Amino acid sequence: MADLGRMIATKQVSPVEVVQTHLDRIAALDPKLRAFITICPDAALESARAAEADLVAGRTLGPLHGVPWAPKELYSTKNIRTTGGSKILADSVPADDATVVARLARAGAVLLGKLNMHEFAYGPEGLNAHYGDTRNPWSADTHRVAGGSSSGSGAAVAAGLAPGSLGSDTGGSIRIPASLCGITGLKPTYGRVSRAGVLPLAWSMDHVGPMTRSARDCALMLGAIAGYDPADPTTSVLPVPDYGAALTGDVKGLRVGLLRAHFTDAATPDVRAAVESAAKALEGAGAVVDEVSLTHVAHVATASAVIVASEALAYHATWMRTRAQDYQPDVRERLRLGAFVTGAHYVRSQQIRALLTREVDEALARRDVLLAPATPLVAPVLGERETTLGDGPSDVRAALLRCTRPFNFSGHPACAAPCGFTAGGLPIGLQVVGRPFDEATVLRAVDAYQRITDWHARRPTAA
Amino acid sequence: MLARMEISADSLRRTAALAGFAWTDAELEAIRPAVQRLVESLAELERLPLGAVEPTTQYRVL
Repeated sequence: MADLGRMIATKQVSPVEVVQTHLDRIAALDPKLRAFITICPDAALESARAAEADLVAGRTLGPLHGVPWAPKELYSTKNIRTTGGSKILADSVPADDATVVARLARAGAVLLGKLNMHEFAYGPEGLNAHYGDTRNPWSADTHRVAGGSSSGSGAAVAAGLAPGSLGSDTGGSIRIPASLCGITGLKPTYGRVSRAGVLPLAWSMDHVGPMTRSARDCALMLGAIAGYDPADPTTSVLPVPDYGAALTGDVKGLRVGLLRAHFTDAATPDVRAAVESAAKALEGAGAVVDEVSLTHVAHVATASAVIVASEALAYHATWMRTRAQDYQPDVRERLRLGAFVTGAHYVRSQQIRALLTREVDEALARRDVLLAPATPLVAPVLGERETTLGDGPSDVRAALLRCTRPFNFSGHPACAAPCGFTAGGLPIGLQVVGRPFDEATVLRAVDAYQRITDWHARRPTAA
Repeated sequence: MLARMEISADSLRRTAALAGFAWTDAELEAIRPAVQRLVESLAELERLPLGAVEPTTQYRVL
């Protein structure tokens, strides 16, 4: 995105050319990948022509002027349907843009369309019975999942159908598809980015963030969307730093804690080796690496499931009474589980949440960032239910969520980025976790890593 | 709170009804294994010594 923005600003390419090229790629590749639910060619070209006219007249809106992007299908978009990947909202057309969509429009970005997702964001595989399952571009022919719930965002960015996207992340829904598709995805601190106009899954766990090819592009998008929003009372009044300026490439003296036990040690051998290698690469660049474990993380899966099931059922209760048959089966089942959780269970889960948050804070009191796998496994095959991790057999869904949801629980910023490939050519994802509202250091660490490796620059051959 | 026990279709039906949902026997039977797993996991949470821990009620918004 940063490169495209520069090329547009210096008139090496026109916004119309850039948008048309992306629309052509979508037409050629999306029938196989199923990354898009709605494509908006006419509106995109009209916006691109307006951006071009502004440039010719000497008016520019900044580094995203004329740069195309596409949001996950749960962001409200004025006069463009917003289905949440569901049948229930198939004809829902919002009257207004979500805050972050409006902010990107004001920054000059051009919306290409809306991206596929697990129905109502309630699943880490990225499955959708209504609009088709998104295929992983690194292995589209063998039907591997793109990861979810922001599956279309992961596939579209990896395949070059859109240079950037906004996903949402309740248990890992930005970082899981970023990991499985070999791109860079940032879940900011809870409260850093407005959720106004974004369909909720679980209010206290939902985060909004960028999915791009590099930390530099994440920084660019985050700078455009972050900051207080009166329409979202959970947003912070803290000033938004210049994230791009933080990307110095310098990690000398950066204190990095490699998360062991539940995280790196439980990953498959390929993933574990790649993450350990990434830690060594950062060490080679001057970072100081030690090892750390989190004890309370063992209870996060249950406590997180309790909170998400309770909040999700609260949002979906009316439809679950009147249109339950219109949900895809796995989502309907997860929503039903919320009926069997009591208020006392919810509060107990919030107690565990407090313990974990404190423990992560303590780990970061002596370190600048923590390092872990984003996912402990690479992209599973569609329909695969069981897998084997470093510490034994696991349900695939639980395995996908394992390393990411602790930081939805605690609200810390966390970024997934590629750190290697398996012998079969599937991407492996690293996760960098930082202190609350210190996305700048997280992005600096990932950017520094991306300056000394080229994993993020690789592209799927099928795309 | 639900104690550790074998979950019957009847107990599922009663709990769902209390929450305002009228699901069929087939629908309840379909989710019974998942509810059983959930209840067993919740029983583990019950055993944790969390008494004095203040639950998270705000999300660090500054």
